[in-house]
Amino acid sequence: MTSQAHDQLAAATTAPLSQRSSMPSIGSLVRRPEVGSLIGMIAVLFFFSIFGGANFMSSGGAASWLNVASELGIIALPIGLLMIAGHLDLSVGSMVPASSMTIAILSGHYGLPIIVGILAALGLGLAVGFVNGVLVIRTKVPSFVVTLATLFALAGLTLGLSVILSGSTSVALKSGPIAKLLFGDYLGGKFEVTLFWWIAAILIVGFILNFSRFGNWILAMGGDAVSARNAGIPTDRVTIALFMSSGLCASFVGMSQAILYNSAQVAAGQSFIFNSIIAVVIGGVLLTGGYGSVVGIVLGTLTFAIVNQGIFYTGFDANWASLIIGVLLLAAVLMNNTFRTMALTYAPRTKLSARR
Amino acid sequence: MKAITKLLTAIMLAGVAATSATSAMADGAKIFVIGGKADDPFWSKVKKGADDAGKVAELTGGSVTWLGPQNYDNLGPDAAKLIRTALSQKPSAIVGPDWVPEAMDDAFKEVVAAGVPLIIYNSGGMDAAKRLGAMNYVGNEEYAAGLGGGTYYGSHGSKNVLCVNTLPGATNTEDRCKGIADAITKSGGKSTQLPLPSSSFGNPTAVAEAIKAAVLKDNTIDGVITISAGDANSAANAISQANAGDKVKLASFDMDETGLQRIKAGTQMFAVDQQPYLQGYLAVSLLNGFANYGLDLPTKPVLTGPGIVDAANVDATMAGAAAGAR
Repeated sequence: MTSQAHDQLAAATTAPLSQRSSMPSIGSLVRRPEVGSLIGMIAVLFFFSIFGGANFMSSGGAASWLNVASELGIIALPIGLLMIAGHLDLSVGSMVPASSMTIAILSGHYGLPIIVGILAALGLGLAVGFVNGVLVIRTKVPSFVVTLATLFALAGLTLGLSVILSGSTSVALKSGPIAKLLFGDYLGGKFEVTLFWWIAAILIVGFILNFSRFGNWILAMGGDAVSARNAGIPTDRVTIALFMSSGLCASFVGMSQAILYNSAQVAAGQSFIFNSIIAVVIGGVLLTGGYGSVVGIVLGTLTFAIVNQGIFYTGFDANWASLIIGVLLLAAVLMNNTFRTMALTYAPRTKLSARR
Repeated sequence: MKAITKLLTAIMLAGVAATSATSAMADGAKIFVIGGKADDPFWSKVKKGADDAGKVAELTGGSVTWLGPQNYDNLGPDAAKLIRTALSQKPSAIVGPDWVPEAMDDAFKEVVAAGVPLIIYNSGGMDAAKRLGAMNYVGNEEYAAGLGGGTYYGSHGSKNVLCVNTLPGATNTEDRCKGIADAITKSGGKSTQLPLPSSSFGNPTAVAEAIKAAVLKDNTIDGVITISAGDANSAANAISQANAGDKVKLASFDMDETGLQRIKAGTQMFAVDQQPYLQGYLAVSLLNGFANYGLDLPTKPVLTGPGIVDAANVDATMAGAAAGAR
């Protein structure tokens, strides 16, 4: 870890990662850390294509896990960046319903234009992220604890305000055709438009992590935050930006779910906390930070979604679903770890540059 | 010694209650209602029913007082305190839900020992009413609600109904699904339960995709019922994604505005309603009639559900919802 962090520190002030890699050979491709995640995903896909039957392999079946993956994935990307930088954000679990309720109360209950609801929901996400980031920097309390506190605080605020403003914990929302088309529609009657937002998010985050100085800063912070700051990286600014991005992404998912399902409930979204962390960890990001990739996070998200939804295409008794999910996830993570260890401990025989 | 003290207290309390009852006779019935928080969407409907029935009590010089906890953090003990608070104010009658029998039964027994007429409502069932010596039970029974939903499905030709349970293992949701299954079996069909893991709870997309998978897997499914109004929103999307809207009839336990709009638009067949307004209204009315005129309804328990909301009565229901009674 330490030596890797030093490599990244050296890189942080020089060129982005992408410009330092040499031409990839087949050997170096196999040793890429994402290979474990890829094999894990292919394995679960294979498993469910055998037990899930023709429906699982149909476009409807693919939509099943892609829809779940796209919403989870939009949240998992910034969570992944945060974890690479050595932080956690549990408050997304409350951010999703808070954002849903914001748009439903403003545009549904009070009948304001939908754009007001959308902007307010996204603005709330940025604001909560900003508060999280400032609290983490100023208090020096681990982000796990800070965001656990904001998780509860935001849940209470959402419930309290919803009841005062709308007199209910469940608010209906009717949105116009443009909002529906952009955020809450199905393509071909099956694929959520959220899928395209996820692809856009993957490209943006992929660019940031691999082709910008900001990406190097994130990796360096997770490796060793103190050295990163000493090396001149504005760690406070990076931390706040990361928390704001996770707040924004969580509020985006809450907002689009409210439009998609024409309603919002106070008691929703909590499953995103662990599901996003699980997806990121399956994707090979270390819980301790400093290591991870966008491709890995995407593969981890897909793996989790396939396991979580594939079960309903099989003939297994659904009572056992949680057990099967647990076992398959553990298998995927173990496979991943094996490959990461292989990738990290590989000693190149000829040139030093093959290390990455 | 202790037993004697207890006996003396009981006699004293009974004496106090007797005198208060006579004095209450003169200026109408003083009825105390124990319920949930008044800002809880469910309990606000119960309270509206109790308040509306209270207007009759007020005409004869009586009163209805609502006692609710500040929060639900310590429900059993808090509710037991509310029962004792009500008893200390020399009531003519008390209405209360038996949410947490372990914590609340002693307080209810004090009410009965003091000779104050008691009706159990909303939860506990007739069993609790009998155990505590209450006059009656007014409320819903989950199994009966399931039977009502299943019978409706059966009489509308559904043969294979999926009961989507997002809280598997909880007694009330299991009872709902069991009621559905038993009623449909009687009409020659069948019903299976779809229990969803906790990793799906609170994520409408995961719930929707699971329902879609189940509908695609078994193409004989012609009905889907969810245990809550929120899950029905997911199920509606699942059915349209599976392109099965013509064949699969959607229903839900409880209802919200979105669900009512679906029933009006024809994309949901019905909702099973436990009619909370009636719980407050009937319980207070029964006690007012008993305290003033000695009236006692022989029907025990008084079930307020299942009420069925479908295309035939959805307009009236929506008007009721706008008035805060549905």
